[in-house]
Amino acid sequence: MKSDAEPGRFVFPAWTNLIRPALAIVLVTLPAYLVALVWLGGSPKTTDVGYRPEQPVPFSHALHAGQLGMDCRYCHTTVERAAFAAIPPTQTCMNCHKQVRANSPRLLTVRESYASGLPIPWVKVHDLPDYAYFNHSAHLRAGVGCASCHGRVDTMEVVQQVHTLSMGWCLDCHRNPDPHLRPPELVTVMDWVAPGDPAEHGRRLREAAGINPSVDCWTCHR
Amino acid sequence: MIALLKDVPRWLIYAALVATALALVPLALIARARVVTSSEPRVHLIHDMDHQPKFKAQAENPLFADGRAMRPHPRGVVPAGSAGAEEGFATGRRGGIWLASLPVPVTAELLRRGEERYNIYCSPCHGLAGYGDGPIAVRADALQEGTWTPPSSLHTELVRSRPDGHLYNTIANGIRNMPAYGPQLPVADRWAIVAHVRVLQFSQGATMDDVPVELRGQLAR
Repeated sequence: MKSDAEPGRFVFPAWTNLIRPALAIVLVTLPAYLVALVWLGGSPKTTDVGYRPEQPVPFSHALHAGQLGMDCRYCHTTVERAAFAAIPPTQTCMNCHKQVRANSPRLLTVRESYASGLPIPWVKVHDLPDYAYFNHSAHLRAGVGCASCHGRVDTMEVVQQVHTLSMGWCLDCHRNPDPHLRPPELVTVMDWVAPGDPAEHGRRLREAAGINPSVDCWTCHR
Repeated sequence: MIALLKDVPRWLIYAALVATALALVPLALIARARVVTSSEPRVHLIHDMDHQPKFKAQAENPLFADGRAMRPHPRGVVPAGSAGAEEGFATGRRGGIWLASLPVPVTAELLRRGEERYNIYCSPCHGLAGYGDGPIAVRADALQEGTWTPPSSLHTELVRSRPDGHLYNTIANGIRNMPAYGPQLPVADRWAIVAHVRVLQFSQGATMDDVPVELRGQLAR
Protein backbone atom coordinates (compact mmCIF):
# COMPACT_ATOMS: atom_id res chain seq x y z
CA MET A 1 0.00 0.00 0.00
CA LYS A 2 1.36 3.37 -0.99
CA SER A 3 1.32 5.78 1.89
CA ASP A 4 1.39 8.72 -0.42
CA ALA A 5 -1.83 7.76 -2.18
CA GLU A 6 -3.89 10.58 -3.44
CA PRO A 7 -6.64 11.52 -1.05
CA GLY A 8 -10.11 10.48 -2.18
CA ARG A 9 -8.82 7.59 -4.25
CA PHE A 10 -9.69 4.08 -3.09
CA VAL A 11 -6.72 1.99 -2.23
CA PHE A 12 -6.93 -1.74 -1.37
CA PRO A 13 -5.68 -2.26 2.16
CA ALA A 14 -2.53 -4.32 2.51
CA TRP A 15 -4.28 -7.41 3.97
CA THR A 16 -6.07 -7.98 0.68
CA ASN A 17 -2.79 -9.32 -0.61
CA LEU A 18 -3.68 -12.40 1.48
CA ILE A 19 -6.67 -13.14 -0.74
CA ARG A 20 -4.62 -14.71 -3.45
CA PRO A 21 -2.81 -17.29 -1.25
CA ALA A 22 -6.08 -17.90 0.60
CA LEU A 23 -7.85 -18.50 -2.68
CA ALA A 24 -5.12 -20.93 -3.71
CA ILE A 25 -5.62 -22.91 -0.51
CA VAL A 26 -9.39 -22.98 -1.04
CA LEU A 27 -9.04 -24.08 -4.66
CA VAL A 28 -6.86 -26.99 -3.62
CA THR A 29 -8.77 -28.13 -0.54
CA LEU A 30 -12.34 -27.59 -1.77
CA PRO A 31 -12.21 -30.15 -4.64
CA ALA A 32 -10.41 -32.60 -2.38
CA TYR A 33 -13.07 -31.99 0.25
CA LEU A 34 -15.91 -32.53 -2.22
CA VAL A 35 -14.32 -35.72 -3.56
CA ALA A 36 -13.89 -37.01 -0.01
CA LEU A 37 -17.50 -36.11 0.77
CA VAL A 38 -18.92 -38.00 -2.19
CA TRP A 39 -16.43 -40.86 -1.88
CA LEU A 40 -17.01 -41.48 1.82
CA GLY A 41 -20.62 -40.36 1.99
CA GLY A 42 -21.74 -42.36 -1.03
CA SER A 43 -19.83 -45.48 -0.02
CA PRO A 44 -22.03 -48.45 0.87
CA LYS A 45 -19.93 -48.75 4.01
CA THR A 46 -21.67 -45.54 5.05
CA THR A 47 -25.11 -45.96 3.51
CA ASP A 48 -25.72 -49.73 3.80
CA VAL A 49 -23.50 -51.39 6.40
CA GLY A 50 -25.08 -51.23 9.82
CA TYR A 51 -28.65 -51.31 8.52
CA ARG A 52 -30.56 -52.98 11.33
CA PRO A 53 -34.29 -52.60 10.77
CA GLU A 54 -36.74 -53.19 13.54
CA GLN A 55 -38.66 -56.39 12.83
CA PRO A 56 -42.37 -56.94 13.52
CA VAL A 57 -41.47 -59.84 15.86
CA PRO A 58 -38.52 -59.64 18.29
CA PHE A 59 -37.02 -62.82 16.81
CA SER A 60 -33.52 -63.54 18.06
CA HIS A 61 -31.09 -65.35 15.79
CA ALA A 62 -28.68 -65.33 18.74
CA LEU A 63 -31.10 -67.59 20.65
CA HIS A 64 -32.28 -69.84 17.81
CA ALA A 65 -29.16 -70.21 15.67
CA GLY A 66 -26.66 -69.46 18.42
CA GLN A 67 -27.72 -70.81 21.78
CA LEU A 68 -30.04 -73.55 20.47
CA GLY A 69 -27.73 -74.32 17.56
CA MET A 70 -30.47 -74.74 14.97
CA ASP A 71 -29.22 -75.07 11.42
CA CYS A 72 -29.94 -72.07 9.16
CA ARG A 73 -31.75 -74.40 6.78
CA TYR A 74 -34.33 -75.46 9.35
CA CYS A 75 -36.11 -72.18 8.53
CA HIS A 76 -34.47 -70.97 5.32
CA THR A 77 -35.38 -74.17 3.48
CA THR A 78 -35.02 -72.97 -0.09
CA VAL A 79 -31.46 -71.74 0.20
CA GLU A 80 -29.86 -74.86 -1.28
CA ARG A 81 -32.33 -75.23 -4.12
CA ALA A 82 -33.28 -71.73 -5.17
CA ALA A 83 -31.77 -68.34 -5.87
CA PHE A 84 -33.73 -66.90 -2.98
CA ALA A 85 -33.24 -67.87 0.67
CA ALA A 86 -36.87 -67.77 1.69
CA ILE A 87 -38.11 -66.21 4.88
CA PRO A 88 -39.98 -69.08 6.56
CA PRO A 89 -43.75 -69.16 6.63
CA THR A 90 -45.41 -68.61 10.01
CA GLN A 91 -46.12 -72.33 10.08
CA THR A 92 -42.40 -72.98 10.62
CA CYS A 93 -42.43 -70.79 13.74
CA MET A 94 -45.46 -72.65 15.00
CA ASN A 95 -43.71 -76.03 14.65
CA CYS A 96 -42.28 -75.26 18.08
CA HIS A 97 -44.23 -72.26 19.32
CA LYS A 98 -47.55 -74.05 19.39
CA GLN A 99 -46.03 -75.66 22.45
CA VAL A 100 -43.04 -73.60 23.56
CA ARG A 101 -43.77 -70.07 24.83
CA ALA A 102 -47.24 -70.62 23.44
CA ASN A 103 -48.72 -67.68 25.37
CA SER A 104 -45.82 -65.24 25.16
CA PRO A 105 -46.88 -61.68 24.29
CA ARG A 106 -43.71 -61.39 22.23
CA LEU A 107 -45.18 -64.02 19.90
CA LEU A 108 -48.61 -62.42 19.58
CA THR A 109 -47.92 -61.26 16.01
CA VAL A 110 -46.89 -64.81 15.08
CA ARG A 111 -50.07 -66.33 16.50
CA GLU A 112 -52.22 -63.70 14.80
CA SER A 113 -50.52 -64.42 11.49
CA TYR A 114 -51.05 -68.16 11.97
CA ALA A 115 -54.72 -67.66 12.77
CA SER A 116 -55.42 -65.17 9.98
CA GLY A 117 -53.23 -66.65 7.25
CA LEU A 118 -51.75 -63.22 6.58
CA PRO A 119 -47.96 -63.06 6.34
CA ILE A 120 -45.82 -61.42 9.00
CA PRO A 121 -44.37 -58.24 7.41
CA TRP A 122 -40.70 -59.10 8.02
CA VAL A 123 -38.33 -56.39 6.84
CA LYS A 124 -35.71 -57.41 4.28
CA VAL A 125 -32.22 -56.64 5.58
CA HIS A 126 -29.98 -57.71 2.71
CA ASP A 127 -31.35 -56.17 -0.45
CA LEU A 128 -29.52 -56.22 -3.77
CA PRO A 129 -30.36 -53.93 -6.69
CA ASP A 130 -33.09 -55.41 -8.88
CA TYR A 131 -30.66 -55.86 -11.79
CA ALA A 132 -28.31 -58.11 -9.79
CA TYR A 133 -29.27 -61.78 -10.06
CA PHE A 134 -27.66 -63.38 -7.05
CA ASN A 135 -28.17 -67.12 -6.57
CA HIS A 136 -27.84 -68.57 -3.06
CA SER A 137 -27.84 -72.22 -4.16
CA ALA A 138 -24.85 -71.76 -6.49
CA HIS A 139 -22.81 -70.17 -3.73
CA LEU A 140 -23.66 -72.87 -1.18
CA ARG A 141 -22.73 -75.56 -3.67
CA ALA A 142 -19.35 -73.91 -4.20
CA GLY A 143 -18.77 -73.79 -0.45
CA VAL A 144 -19.29 -70.15 0.44
CA GLY A 145 -20.51 -70.10 4.04
CA CYS A 146 -23.52 -68.10 5.21
CA ALA A 147 -21.27 -66.11 7.52
CA SER A 148 -19.04 -64.98 4.63
CA CYS A 149 -21.73 -62.56 3.43
CA HIS A 150 -24.12 -62.28 6.36
CA GLY A 151 -21.63 -62.18 9.24
CA ARG A 152 -22.12 -63.96 12.53
CA VAL A 153 -25.91 -63.95 12.45
CA ASP A 154 -25.83 -66.52 15.26
CA THR A 155 -24.63 -63.77 17.59
CA MET A 156 -27.16 -61.13 16.52
CA GLU A 157 -30.24 -60.37 18.59
CA VAL A 158 -31.45 -58.24 15.69
CA VAL A 159 -29.98 -58.95 12.28
CA GLN A 160 -27.93 -56.23 10.69
CA GLN A 161 -26.00 -55.89 7.47
CA VAL A 162 -22.27 -56.29 8.06
CA HIS A 163 -20.90 -56.30 4.52
CA THR A 164 -21.44 -53.77 1.75
CA LEU A 165 -22.89 -56.24 -0.79
CA SER A 166 -21.54 -53.82 -3.38
CA MET A 167 -20.40 -54.92 -6.82
CA GLY A 168 -16.76 -54.31 -5.93
CA TRP A 169 -17.17 -56.46 -2.84
CA CYS A 170 -18.70 -59.29 -4.91
CA LEU A 171 -15.88 -59.07 -7.44
CA ASP A 172 -13.20 -59.17 -4.76
CA CYS A 173 -14.34 -62.70 -3.97
CA HIS A 174 -15.06 -63.73 -7.56
CA ARG A 175 -11.50 -62.76 -8.47
CA ASN A 176 -9.94 -64.38 -5.40
CA PRO A 177 -12.37 -66.90 -3.91
CA ASP A 178 -9.83 -69.08 -2.11
CA PRO A 179 -9.89 -67.49 1.37
CA HIS A 180 -13.70 -67.74 1.42
CA LEU A 181 -14.18 -71.37 0.41
CA ARG A 182 -14.99 -74.26 2.72
CA PRO A 183 -16.33 -77.79 2.28
CA PRO A 184 -19.94 -77.35 1.02
CA GLU A 185 -21.34 -79.53 3.81
CA LEU A 186 -20.08 -76.99 6.36
CA VAL A 187 -21.61 -73.83 4.89
CA THR A 188 -23.99 -73.31 7.81
CA VAL A 189 -21.36 -73.77 10.51
CA MET A 190 -21.20 -70.19 11.68
CA ASP A 191 -17.93 -70.34 13.66
CA TRP A 192 -16.04 -72.39 11.10
CA VAL A 193 -12.39 -71.51 10.59
CA ALA A 194 -10.15 -73.02 7.96
CA PRO A 195 -7.59 -75.53 9.23
CA GLY A 196 -4.30 -73.80 8.49
CA ASP A 197 -4.03 -71.05 5.90
CA PRO A 198 -7.54 -70.22 4.53
CA ALA A 199 -6.16 -69.32 1.10
CA GLU A 200 -4.24 -72.58 0.78
CA HIS A 201 -7.15 -74.65 2.13
CA GLY A 202 -9.54 -72.88 -0.25
CA ARG A 203 -7.22 -73.31 -3.19
CA ARG A 204 -7.24 -77.07 -2.74
CA LEU A 205 -11.05 -77.10 -2.46
CA ARG A 206 -11.37 -74.90 -5.54
CA GLU A 207 -9.10 -77.08 -7.63
CA ALA A 208 -10.72 -80.30 -6.44
CA ALA A 209 -14.25 -79.07 -7.23
CA GLY A 210 -13.33 -77.11 -10.34
CA ILE A 211 -14.75 -73.89 -8.97
CA ASN A 212 -14.24 -71.08 -11.43
CA PRO A 213 -16.22 -67.97 -10.47
CA SER A 214 -17.06 -65.86 -13.46
CA VAL A 215 -16.42 -62.13 -13.59
CA ASP A 216 -18.38 -61.63 -16.80
CA CYS A 217 -21.05 -58.94 -16.66
CA TRP A 218 -23.82 -61.33 -17.65
CA THR A 219 -23.11 -63.68 -14.75
CA CYS A 220 -24.96 -61.30 -12.42
CA HIS A 221 -26.63 -58.87 -14.83
CA ARG A 222 -29.01 -60.54 -17.22
CA MET B 1 2.72 -11.70 5.41
CA ILE B 2 1.56 -13.31 8.65
CA ALA B 3 1.61 -9.86 10.21
CA LEU B 4 -1.05 -8.82 7.71
CA LEU B 5 -3.52 -11.23 9.38
CA LYS B 6 -3.92 -8.66 12.11
CA ASP B 7 -5.42 -6.24 9.62
CA VAL B 8 -7.96 -8.66 8.17
CA PRO B 9 -11.45 -7.60 9.27
CA ARG B 10 -12.65 -9.63 12.21
CA TRP B 11 -15.93 -10.64 10.54
CA LEU B 12 -14.02 -12.17 7.68
CA ILE B 13 -11.89 -14.29 9.99
CA TYR B 14 -14.94 -15.45 11.89
CA ALA B 15 -16.76 -16.26 8.65
CA ALA B 16 -13.82 -18.37 7.49
CA LEU B 17 -13.66 -20.22 10.82
CA VAL B 18 -17.42 -20.89 10.81
CA ALA B 19 -17.32 -22.11 7.21
CA THR B 20 -14.47 -24.49 8.03
CA ALA B 21 -16.32 -25.80 11.07
CA LEU B 22 -19.53 -26.29 9.08
CA ALA B 23 -17.61 -28.14 6.39
CA LEU B 24 -16.48 -30.66 8.98
CA VAL B 25 -20.07 -31.47 10.02
CA PRO B 26 -20.87 -33.70 7.01
CA LEU B 27 -17.60 -35.55 7.51
CA ALA B 28 -18.45 -36.09 11.16
CA LEU B 29 -21.91 -37.38 10.22
CA ILE B 30 -20.35 -39.76 7.71
CA ALA B 31 -17.87 -41.00 10.29
CA ARG B 32 -20.75 -41.58 12.70
CA ALA B 33 -22.83 -43.43 10.08
CA ARG B 34 -19.94 -45.80 9.51
CA VAL B 35 -19.76 -46.96 13.11
CA VAL B 36 -23.35 -47.00 14.36
CA THR B 37 -26.29 -49.18 13.32
CA SER B 38 -29.51 -47.67 12.08
CA SER B 39 -33.03 -48.93 11.79
CA GLU B 40 -33.88 -46.15 9.36
CA PRO B 41 -34.25 -47.14 5.68
CA ARG B 42 -30.95 -46.97 3.87
CA VAL B 43 -29.84 -43.71 2.29
CA HIS B 44 -30.14 -44.31 -1.41
CA LEU B 45 -28.57 -41.44 -3.31
CA ILE B 46 -28.65 -42.70 -6.88
CA HIS B 47 -31.51 -45.05 -7.68
CA ASP B 48 -30.57 -46.06 -11.21
CA MET B 49 -32.74 -49.16 -11.69
CA ASP B 50 -32.18 -50.51 -8.21
CA HIS B 51 -35.91 -50.67 -7.56
CA GLN B 52 -37.72 -51.84 -10.64
CA PRO B 53 -41.49 -52.13 -11.01
CA LYS B 54 -41.44 -55.92 -10.78
CA PHE B 55 -42.12 -58.43 -8.05
CA LYS B 56 -39.28 -60.54 -6.74
CA ALA B 57 -39.57 -63.56 -4.46
CA GLN B 58 -41.69 -62.93 -1.35
CA ALA B 59 -42.22 -59.31 -2.36
CA GLU B 60 -45.27 -57.31 -1.41
CA ASN B 61 -48.07 -56.61 -3.87
CA PRO B 62 -50.75 -54.24 -2.59
CA LEU B 63 -53.17 -55.42 -5.30
CA PHE B 64 -53.95 -58.56 -3.29
CA ALA B 65 -55.77 -58.47 0.02
CA ASP B 66 -53.10 -60.59 1.73
CA GLY B 67 -50.29 -58.48 0.21
CA ARG B 68 -48.50 -61.51 -1.26
CA ALA B 69 -47.00 -61.08 -4.71
CA MET B 70 -46.36 -64.85 -4.75
CA ARG B 71 -49.81 -66.36 -4.83
CA PRO B 72 -50.46 -69.34 -2.54
CA HIS B 73 -51.39 -72.55 -4.35
CA PRO B 74 -55.13 -72.98 -4.77
CA ARG B 75 -56.37 -75.98 -2.79
CA GLY B 76 -55.58 -79.26 -4.49
CA VAL B 77 -52.99 -77.84 -6.88
CA VAL B 78 -49.57 -79.53 -6.98
CA PRO B 79 -46.36 -78.44 -8.69
CA ALA B 80 -46.02 -79.60 -12.29
CA GLY B 81 -44.38 -82.99 -12.52
CA SER B 82 -45.11 -84.07 -8.98
CA ALA B 83 -48.56 -85.54 -9.58
CA GLY B 84 -47.45 -88.68 -11.39
CA ALA B 85 -45.25 -89.97 -8.55
CA GLU B 86 -45.71 -93.60 -7.61
CA GLU B 87 -48.24 -94.02 -4.79
CA GLY B 88 -45.91 -95.73 -2.32
CA PHE B 89 -43.11 -93.23 -2.91
CA ALA B 90 -45.45 -90.26 -2.54
CA THR B 91 -47.58 -91.43 0.41
CA GLY B 92 -45.70 -94.21 2.20
CA ARG B 93 -48.48 -96.73 1.58
CA ARG B 94 -49.79 -98.83 -1.26
CA GLY B 95 -53.44 -99.80 -1.28
CA GLY B 96 -53.79 -98.69 2.32
CA ILE B 97 -50.86 -100.83 3.53
CA TRP B 98 -47.73 -99.13 4.97
CA LEU B 99 -44.61 -99.83 3.00
CA ALA B 100 -42.40 -102.18 5.02
CA SER B 101 -39.21 -100.97 3.37
CA LEU B 102 -37.90 -97.97 1.46
CA PRO B 103 -39.19 -97.51 -2.11
CA VAL B 104 -35.76 -96.15 -3.09
CA PRO B 105 -32.39 -97.94 -3.25
CA VAL B 106 -30.40 -97.55 -0.03
CA THR B 107 -27.02 -96.15 -1.01
CA ALA B 108 -24.19 -94.54 0.95
CA GLU B 109 -25.26 -91.27 -0.69
CA LEU B 110 -28.82 -91.67 0.62
CA LEU B 111 -27.57 -92.37 4.15
CA ARG B 112 -25.29 -89.34 4.08
CA ARG B 113 -28.17 -87.18 2.88
CA GLY B 114 -30.47 -88.66 5.50
CA GLU B 115 -28.01 -87.96 8.30
CA GLU B 116 -27.55 -84.36 7.17
CA ARG B 117 -31.30 -83.73 6.80
CA TYR B 118 -32.06 -85.45 10.11
CA ASN B 119 -29.52 -83.24 11.87
CA ILE B 120 -31.09 -80.12 10.37
CA TYR B 121 -34.79 -80.83 10.74
CA CYS B 122 -35.21 -83.55 13.38
CA SER B 123 -32.32 -83.28 15.82
CA PRO B 124 -33.52 -79.98 17.37
CA CYS B 125 -36.19 -82.02 19.17
CA HIS B 126 -35.27 -85.69 18.79
CA GLY B 127 -31.56 -85.21 19.46
CA LEU B 128 -28.60 -86.25 17.32
CA ALA B 129 -28.85 -89.87 18.52
CA GLY B 130 -32.67 -89.95 18.58
CA TYR B 131 -33.37 -90.14 22.31
CA GLY B 132 -35.69 -87.11 22.30
CA ASP B 133 -33.09 -84.94 24.01
CA GLY B 134 -32.46 -82.25 21.39
CA PRO B 135 -31.71 -78.64 22.39
CA ILE B 136 -35.33 -77.56 21.87
CA ALA B 137 -36.60 -80.35 24.11
CA VAL B 138 -33.99 -79.49 26.73
CA ARG B 139 -34.93 -75.82 26.65
CA ALA B 140 -38.66 -76.53 26.77
CA ASP B 141 -38.04 -78.69 29.82
CA ALA B 142 -35.98 -75.93 31.42
CA LEU B 143 -38.75 -73.41 30.77
CA GLN B 144 -41.23 -75.82 32.40
CA GLU B 145 -43.77 -75.20 29.66
CA GLY B 146 -47.12 -76.73 30.57
CA THR B 147 -48.00 -76.83 26.89
CA TRP B 148 -44.96 -78.92 25.98
CA THR B 149 -45.14 -82.58 25.09
CA PRO B 150 -41.66 -84.14 25.06
CA PRO B 151 -40.65 -85.61 21.69
CA SER B 152 -40.58 -89.37 21.39
CA SER B 153 -37.38 -91.32 21.65
CA LEU B 154 -36.82 -93.12 18.37
CA HIS B 155 -35.56 -96.17 20.25
CA THR B 156 -38.82 -97.30 21.84
CA GLU B 157 -40.25 -100.68 20.83
CA LEU B 158 -43.19 -98.82 19.24
CA VAL B 159 -41.09 -96.66 16.92
CA ARG B 160 -38.76 -99.54 16.09
CA SER B 161 -41.74 -101.63 15.06
CA ARG B 162 -43.24 -98.99 12.76
CA PRO B 163 -43.07 -99.82 9.05
CA ASP B 164 -40.88 -97.49 6.96
CA GLY B 165 -43.97 -96.11 5.25
CA HIS B 166 -45.43 -95.14 8.62
CA LEU B 167 -42.26 -93.23 9.55
CA TYR B 168 -42.39 -91.51 6.18
CA ASN B 169 -45.99 -90.48 6.79
CA THR B 170 -45.10 -89.18 10.24
CA ILE B 171 -42.39 -86.95 8.73
CA ALA B 172 -44.66 -85.75 5.94
CA ASN B 173 -47.87 -85.18 7.91
CA GLY B 174 -46.89 -85.18 11.57
CA ILE B 175 -48.28 -87.31 14.35
CA ARG B 176 -49.95 -86.30 17.64
CA ASN B 177 -48.02 -83.18 18.76
CA MET B 178 -45.33 -83.42 16.11
CA PRO B 179 -46.05 -81.00 13.26
CA ALA B 180 -45.90 -81.95 9.58
CA TYR B 181 -42.47 -81.54 8.02
CA GLY B 182 -43.75 -82.03 4.49
CA PRO B 183 -43.71 -78.29 3.84
CA GLN B 184 -40.00 -78.15 4.77
CA LEU B 185 -38.82 -81.45 3.30
CA PRO B 186 -39.06 -82.68 -0.31
CA VAL B 187 -40.29 -86.28 -0.74
CA ALA B 188 -36.87 -87.79 -1.46
CA ASP B 189 -35.37 -86.20 1.66
CA ARG B 190 -38.15 -87.66 3.82
CA TRP B 191 -37.19 -91.16 2.69
CA ALA B 192 -33.51 -90.39 3.30
CA ILE B 193 -34.42 -89.41 6.87
CA VAL B 194 -36.38 -92.65 7.33
CA ALA B 195 -33.20 -94.48 6.31
CA HIS B 196 -31.16 -92.51 8.85
CA VAL B 197 -33.69 -93.21 11.62
CA ARG B 198 -33.15 -96.92 10.87
CA VAL B 199 -29.38 -96.31 11.06
CA LEU B 200 -29.78 -94.69 14.47
CA GLN B 201 -32.00 -97.50 15.71
CA PHE B 202 -29.54 -100.09 14.49
CA SER B 203 -26.53 -98.31 15.98
CA GLN B 204 -28.15 -97.70 19.37
CA GLY B 205 -29.25 -101.32 19.63
CA ALA B 206 -26.05 -102.78 18.25
CA THR B 207 -24.00 -105.41 20.04
CA MET B 208 -20.33 -106.27 19.68
CA ASP B 209 -21.36 -108.96 17.20
CA ASP B 210 -22.45 -106.20 14.79
CA VAL B 211 -18.98 -104.62 14.77
CA PRO B 212 -16.64 -105.95 12.08
CA VAL B 213 -14.04 -108.19 13.67
CA GLU B 214 -11.09 -106.04 12.62
CA LEU B 215 -12.61 -102.95 14.30
CA ARG B 216 -13.55 -104.54 17.62
CA GLY B 217 -10.13 -103.81 19.11
CA GLN B 218 -10.81 -100.07 18.88
CA LEU B 219 -13.97 -100.41 20.95
CA ALA B 220 -12.86 -102.92 23.57
CA ARG B 221 -11.46 -100.43 26.03
